[in-house]
Amino acid sequence: MQTNDNNNALSMLISIIVSFMIALTFFYGLDHLVMSMQGLPLNPDLSPAG
Amino acid sequence: MNDKRPSNQPERPSTQIRWGRRLWIALSMLLLVYGLVQAVEESTTLNRITPIGMVQVAGEPLITKTTPDIADVDTAEPIAAPRPSRSDYPNIGVSSRAIVWILAQLHLFFAALVLAVPLFLLTIELLGVYTGDERYDNMAYEFMKISLTGFSITAIFGGSLALALFVLYPDFMGYMMHVFGVQVLVYAILFFLESFFLYTYYYGWNAFRYGNLKWVHLSLGLMLNASGLTIMVLANSWATFMMAPSGVNEVGAVVGNIWEIMKGPLWNPINLHRFIANIAFGGTVVGAYAAFKFLSTNDPDRRAHYDWMGYTSNFIAILAFLPLPFAGYWLMAEIYAYSQQMGITAMGGILAWLFIVQAVLIGTILLAGNFYLWAGMSRTDGSDRYKGLIKYIAAVLVVCFLIWVTPHTLILSASEISLLGGSYHHILGPLGIMPAKNVAVNLMLVATFLSFQLYRRSDKVATVSWAPMGNALMVPIYVVAIVNIIFLGVYYGYFTNTVYKVGSSVAQVASTLVVIIAGIILDTLMFRNAKTLPSHWGRIPDRAQYALFALPIAFTWLMGLMGYVRSSVKTHWHVYTVMKDNSPDNYIPTIAYAGNMITIVTVLFLLCVLFMFWVANLSSTRQAKPAAGGAV
Repeated sequence: MQTNDNNNALSMLISIIVSFMIALTFFYGLDHLVMSMQGLPLNPDLSPAG
Repeated sequence: MNDKRPSNQPERPSTQIRWGRRLWIALSMLLLVYGLVQAVEESTTLNRITPIGMVQVAGEPLITKTTPDIADVDTAEPIAAPRPSRSDYPNIGVSSRAIVWILAQLHLFFAALVLAVPLFLLTIELLGVYTGDERYDNMAYEFMKISLTGFSITAIFGGSLALALFVLYPDFMGYMMHVFGVQVLVYAILFFLESFFLYTYYYGWNAFRYGNLKWVHLSLGLMLNASGLTIMVLANSWATFMMAPSGVNEVGAVVGNIWEIMKGPLWNPINLHRFIANIAFGGTVVGAYAAFKFLSTNDPDRRAHYDWMGYTSNFIAILAFLPLPFAGYWLMAEIYAYSQQMGITAMGGILAWLFIVQAVLIGTILLAGNFYLWAGMSRTDGSDRYKGLIKYIAAVLVVCFLIWVTPHTLILSASEISLLGGSYHHILGPLGIMPAKNVAVNLMLVATFLSFQLYRRSDKVATVSWAPMGNALMVPIYVVAIVNIIFLGVYYGYFTNTVYKVGSSVAQVASTLVVIIAGIILDTLMFRNAKTLPSHWGRIPDRAQYALFALPIAFTWLMGLMGYVRSSVKTHWHVYTVMKDNSPDNYIPTIAYAGNMITIVTVLFLLCVLFMFWVANLSSTRQAKPAAGGAV
């Protein structure tokens, strides 16, 4: 029982970390996309490239 | 839309022969295709612009026109816009502007209401057909009944406004008639169409209730909305022509066709903004009706019905309200693009203070809307899971509200400047500019959507196996979006150049929209076949109903305020840069005067709405027959 709980907690933790990674990548890409579409390119560190 | 409605499912109407549905689909497709074709044609600007002159290049043959255009038939000399002097304006002893202001605003309030109500009640009716629940149909009918008087009141104020304009501003109206010509008659014809569809839609409600006839009824509703929306966009073109004229030259002479005149740079932003705002406005007004009915009865069944009606109205209002600021941004961006001077007059000059008042009003709307959702959670026992989050949402709303209402430039005396240590407060000063306000607005919208999402989840338990994964994804979307909104506002707003500052506001809007869209999609998938917990309609504190009263009052005031700003940016022009206003009122009045005018109009509108509600109640009231021999 204890092992199952530990496994569930671990898989939940992994899910949360992966979800955060996905969300971060998505919004990072979104910032680049939206700014570029307006003719305002960004550097990889999100500082203005123009 | 609402799966927490009272039970008692009626039988689904018979649809053995489906010609009615085919009629509905054909009409919908026709309107859709027509709209798309128009939109595509709009984008090919060169096809629409009629050349006003031709140049023959030396050595080249003379250009011969192969297709006829407007210049072939209209060979008359272009007529410049009139330049009336002060004496050309009739003086009736009362401010002409005040008269037109009141009539125009009342007309617009009612027009917004009667355009919006058929839009969302057609959706409710359609929902009733698909779910087979007749209570949707009954509710839509009740919405229609209470707004019916509004159509007459709209026409009365519209006619009065037209007469007032012709009497008080004859040269201006003569010019507008000259520019728009036959389009005005098309506008009049559309009234006939709208009236036809309105009355057949309303009076045919019970006659066309089931089977194919129901689809005929829905088709009537569709045509009612199509004619109403066309009326709206035609009238919008007059307002946007006055702000940003197109199809005329620098002296106001008509050089383009009617389509070119209508399709000015501000036309579509205004169309979108008014379309969304009207729906939100209509939702708040009928919500107030439901609140009034809820409070005026002790019958549990009626309280349950009006509680549900109030919830549906608030649902419509909040859902329409969420994208409204973005439509407003687009409009202001187009105003700036058209004329920076006009944009600065609106947001950097005397009118800028009205945007602070706007922030107070929008804050009131969001706080009231959220409060209603939180109070509504008490309908279900399952809401206890989420109630702990309410205090955090409230804190975000209040802090953002305070940031939004922080002014930038204060009118200060010398001693006050000395006490403050400068023109701007050293800590609060940075909160007065747009980057801080953009962050605040977007966070308020995200918080409102969170309230909405929690409310929708409160009576359900997800049964899909991946529900924990869904929640694990939803939380990071909220967290990262909020961090992104703050980062975009702070970094680009305060530490980069102006171009990036303005551009980052679009990315902020995109982040907010991602939260809303992702939330809707995830919840739709996660709560499919969910276990539903019992809901108790009517089990809501009475004080929640006062939030439903606050919404239309704040919304009406807001519409009056921003309508005034939109009109005032023309300053001393009837038609910006083309026809000067030489009347005695050709100046922007003081903020106090404008505030009083807007308040008067708001109070008048609310009195008319009370009359509308009273008349709607009157139709369902029947006097008891006096007893024989009783007093006469």
